Amino acid sequence: MIGELSRRTPCLVQGATGRTGRAHVERMLAYGTNIVAGVSGRADVTEVAGVPVFGDCKAAVDATGAVASLAMVPPAGVFAAVENALAAGIRLIVTVAEGIPVHDSLRISRKVRAAGATWVGPSTPGLAVPGEMKLGFLPDVSLKPGPLAFMAKSGTLSYETGYRLASVGVGQSIWVGVGGDPVKGVRFADLLPLFLRDARTRGIVLIGEVGGSEEEEFADALAKADSSKPVYALVAGRGAKEGVSMGHAGALMFGDVGTFASKKKRLEAAGARVFASIDDLVSACRRDHA
Amino acid sequence: MLLIESDGKALFRAAGLRVPEGVVVGAIEEMPALAGAGPWIVKAQVPVGGRGKAGGVVRCDDAAAVRSVVARLLQSRIKGHAVQRCLVERAVQGSDEYYLSLMLDPAACAVRVALLREGGVEVEQAVATQRVRLCDPEPAAIAAAVRELASDEPNARQAAIADIGEKLAALFLARELMLAEINPLFFDAQGCIAGDAKVVVDLNALDRQPDIAALIERNAAIYPDAVRKLHDGFDYVEVDPDGEIGLVTTGAGLSMMLIDELTARGGKPLNFCDIRTGQLRGDPTRLMRVFEWISSRPNVRVVLVNIFAGITDLAEFAELLCAALERTPAIKVPVVARIVGNRFAEARAVLAQKRPDIAVEEALDRALGHVDRVLGRPHA
Repeated sequence: MIGELSRRTPCLVQGATGRTGRAHVERMLAYGTNIVAGVSGRADVTEVAGVPVFGDCKAAVDATGAVASLAMVPPAGVFAAVENALAAGIRLIVTVAEGIPVHDSLRISRKVRAAGATWVGPSTPGLAVPGEMKLGFLPDVSLKPGPLAFMAKSGTLSYETGYRLASVGVGQSIWVGVGGDPVKGVRFADLLPLFLRDARTRGIVLIGEVGGSEEEEFADALAKADSSKPVYALVAGRGAKEGVSMGHAGALMFGDVGTFASKKKRLEAAGARVFASIDDLVSACRRDHA
Repeated sequence: MLLIESDGKALFRAAGLRVPEGVVVGAIEEMPALAGAGPWIVKAQVPVGGRGKAGGVVRCDDAAAVRSVVARLLQSRIKGHAVQRCLVERAVQGSDEYYLSLMLDPAACAVRVALLREGGVEVEQAVATQRVRLCDPEPAAIAAAVRELASDEPNARQAAIADIGEKLAALFLARELMLAEINPLFFDAQGCIAGDAKVVVDLNALDRQPDIAALIERNAAIYPDAVRKLHDGFDYVEVDPDGEIGLVTTGAGLSMMLIDELTARGGKPLNFCDIRTGQLRGDPTRLMRVFEWISSRPNVRVVLVNIFAGITDLAEFAELLCAALERTPAIKVPVVARIVGNRFAEARAVLAQKRPDIAVEEALDRALGHVDRVLGRPHA
């Protein structure tokens, strides 16, 4: 589903009538996203920025044919929002809320998998096909159509990297924020086949961080894949403190699990290049793709 | 977040698991007379793995040795953590040592159960062995996986493992744990005894886990980073109490990367910070809290602000920054502000007018150059 996204994909926004939801509906429309519906529990609001608002996803999908959803609801409401979207046949759901309990994410992820749908999140700024559409709040200044596919655990570090690359003329083919939580929907390794298949993509930028095993899983998948697309990686958190989450719930090391050294070693063994600084990554991408 | 062993064991006890008889000592004066015969094990209560290898677990044959080891450990640091407490336990003797753990497996979206017939291994080794089962996050499924892993044990031992497996599964799910590891797991005639407790809790679940929240509050000195998050609603982690560079940053990944890049240049960052500019909403309180924490550390020589504003209004942020600095006079060191994004020019004008002493840069490498100059290092 992620690989098929374009400016024509009909999308809905759950939680569209809240302060933040409304602001982002306007920004996404301005960017070109085909937002066909809003969903809200409020009966008194019937439209947001010219988009019709429905009481639930089923009504919105029936009336508009939306296939993707962005849920702009608080952490406690995410599970219900995902259930509502799945019941309406939504195939891709992006949830931006931070701070979802991990056991809730486990339940959500199992439910989405059972339904055969795709979940991006939690704790993600969203995704984009630069120049076409975006679902979420990836900043416009960092988005620019180009040859690099982005996958990132961190919003801000990817904004910074994308912004610097864009300013030297290197843009992105597709950009997916997978979020910084340990349990999530789409993971780095899930995106690899899609990025390898994607004709627009000539290189992959992986923005990882310490904690968990997602970078290692990606490295295993890369080692097995027949890929000629270079992988440029940053792994933040070399100086992170053990035993404590560094902002992201997933950025937690204990013992030898999830360390920088482990990730760097596995990524490099699979043929990826791991850079010590944002500047180094930008320079390498510029040399190869500008 | 990883709990110290004595807190992990408090959760174990409340769930009906048996742990060795022991006492927690925070100062040598608190050391009670030890009843009965040893030997004893003295364990530094620091929230890190690998304590044993780092010298934080010491076997003592008599009470005098216990006393001297406790006194020594309480003066020491283990893997960067000052030892504030020791757990003194009577050693469990003559038992086999096993390894049992329940862990959330994010890739499989399941619970990973591991049972090994040797203690002392690292969790990574454990998950690399065949003695693991993936199961649904349901009490019956976890208990069944534990029973199956123990199926080649003698009958009495099977029953003991099944019993602790059920209790541990109930605890793991009810308390929303990310890891519950017992290493070593001992046996006696009555069943299993948890020799250690490595428990990782989910700070995002504390709203519905009041017992764990209370545990953290009670031991605020051990978990300062978690307590800050509980009270102030954002992340600030002190990575080096002797650090020279105080960081005011937003975004976890970018903040971590900045720490790494500063360290690679020879700098000593004090802290990680994800202040979440999107949540400031016109209130300088969070910035003031960060400035208070930074100024409470003696070696800080410069404050570096790094904000990438995709959506945040930088001009509004600049106003808040000035307001927070004005109300935190304890910040006497130079401030370097690297800001980029939405309404940069307006923000620079605000800072130039209100705080001309602040070096304002749009490019990160130029801001890092200012930091180097303040610290008296040649620009790398």
